[in-house]
Amino acid sequence: MTGHISDEAALYALGSLSDEERAAVEAHVQACSSCAALLGAAEQDVAFVASMEPQHDAPPLLAGRIARTLDRRSTRQWQPFAALAAAFVIGLLPSAYFWQQNQSLHSAMSAQTAAIQRVASTPHRMAHFRGMNDRGSASVMYAPDGSWYVVLVRDVSKSLEVAWMHDGEKTMLGTAQAHDGVAMLYLPRSHRMDQLALMDGARTVAVADLSY
Amino acid sequence: MRRRAAFSEHDMPAPSDDEALAIAFAAHDRTAFDRAYRAYAGLLYSAAYNVLGNGQEAQDCVHDALVRIWRSPQAYSPARGTLRSFLVVCVRNEAISRRRRHGRRMQMEERLAAQPPEHDQLPDSDPIERDRVRSALAGLPVEQRVPLELAYYQDKTHREIASELRQPLGTVKSRIALGLRKLAQALQPAAQADRR
Ligand SMILES: [Zn+2]
Repeated sequence: MTGHISDEAALYALGSLSDEERAAVEAHVQACSSCAALLGAAEQDVAFVASMEPQHDAPPLLAGRIARTLDRRSTRQWQPFAALAAAFVIGLLPSAYFWQQNQSLHSAMSAQTAAIQRVASTPHRMAHFRGMNDRGSASVMYAPDGSWYVVLVRDVSKSLEVAWMHDGEKTMLGTAQAHDGVAMLYLPRSHRMDQLALMDGARTVAVADLSY
Repeated sequence: MRRRAAFSEHDMPAPSDDEALAIAFAAHDRTAFDRAYRAYAGLLYSAAYNVLGNGQEAQDCVHDALVRIWRSPQAYSPARGTLRSFLVVCVRNEAISRRRRHGRRMQMEERLAAQPPEHDQLPDSDPIERDRVRSALAGLPVEQRVPLELAYYQDKTHREIASELRQPLGTVKSRIALGLRKLAQALQPAAQADRR
C-alpha cells in the first residue's frame, strides 16, 4: 500500500482483506495518525455491531490459561533484554551471560531480574578483582550497606567459586558458572563483606577489596 | 458515558477509566492486560463464538489472538481508537481466519446439524437480541446489504465478493464501507434501549 486508506478501513475491520492487504494496512497506520483514526472508527463500528449480537460469558478457566501462556513467554522474552540491561548497567557488553546456581530456569530468571533491578535502580559501588591477569576481568557491584552483591566475571572459560575472606578464613558463597565467556553470581541478602575472592578449586585467583 | 455537564468549560476532563486502561495497555503494563481481559472477556469470547459457533474453538481463538497482541507491543496505540474495539476486531479477525482455514460454512453447518447446541454452556439467547443485527441489515439498500452480509457473515474477502456479485472491486469496497456505517447507525436505537 502506497497511499492512505479509505474503504480499506471498513474491510480491515470486517476481516475482508487478504493477509497481505491486512499487513499493509497495519504497517501504514503505524506511521499515519489520520488513517489510524479512520481505522479506529471502522473498528468501532464493527465492535459495536458485534456487541449487538448474542452475548455469552467467557469460560472462567480461559483467563488462567491466557495468563499462563503470557507469563511463560515473558520469562523467556525477558532473557535477552535482561542481558542487554545488565551489559548497559555494568558497563560490559557480553554476548550473553547466564546465572546458573543449580536453580530452575524460572527462579534463575527472577533472580537475574532482581539483580538487574537492584543494580539499575539503587545506588551501588563497584570494586575490581586484582590478579585476574589472562583470566579475563572481574568486578563486583554492591550496595553501600553491603545488603547485596553482584559478581560478574568476563572472558572466563571455567566456573569460579566466590568466597568471603575474613579473619584469615574463607567462607564459600557460591559458584559463578561460565557460559559464553561470562559468569555471574548474585547474592541478594547479605551483610557487609570487606574482601571477596574468586577461587579456582582451592586456589585463590583474584581478590577484591570493598569499601563502605 | 462521561457527562460533559459535570465539568466547567475550563476543566480538563480526567481520562476516563477506559482511556487510562488503553494508555496503560499500550505501555505494555501487565496489570492493564488483566484489567482489559476482565472488562472485555465476555465481549471477546462472544465475538469469537458468534463467528465459530463452537465454545472450544472460541476459547482457542481468544487465547491466540490476545497472546499475539501482547507479544507484538506496537499492535495497539490509543491514536487508533478505543482498546475495546481494537480487541474485538482482532479477536473477530482471528476467528474469521480460523474459519477460513477450517473450510468455511459447509463444514460448520454439517457440524451444527450433527450435534445438539451446547446448552450446558450457552443458554438460549433472547430471540430479539439474536435477530437484531439481521433485522438492521434487512433495512439497508440491497446493493449495500448483499456485499456486507457476505463480508460479515460468510467471511468472504472483498475480491471474492466482487467476483461473486460480478461487480467492480472499487464499487464493492465502497458499498461495504457505506453499508457498515449505516448498519452501525441503524443499531444505535437498540443500543440506547439496552442502556436504559
Ligand atoms: Zn494514511
